[in-house]
Amino acid sequence: MEQVVNGVLVVNTETIPGKKITETLGVVSGSTVRAKHVGKDIFALFKNIVGGELTQYTELLQEARQDAVARMVADAMTLDATAVVNVRFATSAITAGAAELFAYGTAVKYE
Amino acid sequence: MELPSNTSERGLSMAIEFEIYYILFILVAPFLIFSLIWTIFGLSYPFVFVWGMIASGKNIENMVEDVNRRESETRKLRGKDPLSTIDGGYRHNVSDSGLVYASGVFGPSHWHLLIGWFNNLFGGSITIFQKVISTGRAEVMQRLRENAIAAGWDDVINVRIDTADMTPQSSKKGVKGVEVFAYGTGIKYSD
Repeated sequence: MEQVVNGVLVVNTETIPGKKITETLGVVSGSTVRAKHVGKDIFALFKNIVGGELTQYTELLQEARQDAVARMVADAMTLDATAVVNVRFATSAITAGAAELFAYGTAVKYE
Repeated sequence: MELPSNTSERGLSMAIEFEIYYILFILVAPFLIFSLIWTIFGLSYPFVFVWGMIASGKNIENMVEDVNRRESETRKLRGKDPLSTIDGGYRHNVSDSGLVYASGVFGPSHWHLLIGWFNNLFGGSITIFQKVISTGRAEVMQRLRENAIAAGWDDVINVRIDTADMTPQSSKKGVKGVEVFAYGTGIKYSD
């Protein structure tokens, strides 16, 4: 929940509220595929019979999302961007128990 | 001359024998462990299923109650709902902004899946799934509010809510669940 990741401002709005964008540098993206170990998968399978929240997978996706955002920011830093705007997320299920997370946005400079 | 060579040969064959057992063990052990786990799973399934049959309806009601209580607390604290889906175009006194997100994975119990399957035969709205998913969505939105407040944001603008399947359509096995994911931009007012 940081507002600034490694000195790069990340927002999902088209503009940065209260700031002015001076230059667009292109699309940046970051993706990751993560899985939990078998023990947690089996526990989730048991939990699924009873229903409710599957905390193991909530955790998994949270970690994956942080990873994807961090990679996107690293990509933005190679372009010397000061912010990433209009960030979108995409998720896909490859196999049961693994999650592919993809974060993308536009790298910009602002003043 | 013969004796040492003999012993060394015996030692070598013993080492090879040991290695074969070792490799066999490594190859077979995972399957043994898996079959043991699946046996336990199969044996305990009926009991867990019956427990889920009794408990899952109540669990959902408890979740709804909990979310409603937390939501009203947030409203009382802020005077209004901090979330909005619009881009903050009309706000000019924003000093700071940043990404906030919250997520959760929710699944219906196997008892609910069975009810849903029966419902599916007759068609119409499948209320039981709708209940599970909308409860999960309300929970995630409340988490977004709490995350935003914990991070010190005054409001959250441009909120988007995504839903993603946890299991691929092609696979029959695995966890039946839906991931709800909400994100937005937290803003801080300058005055």
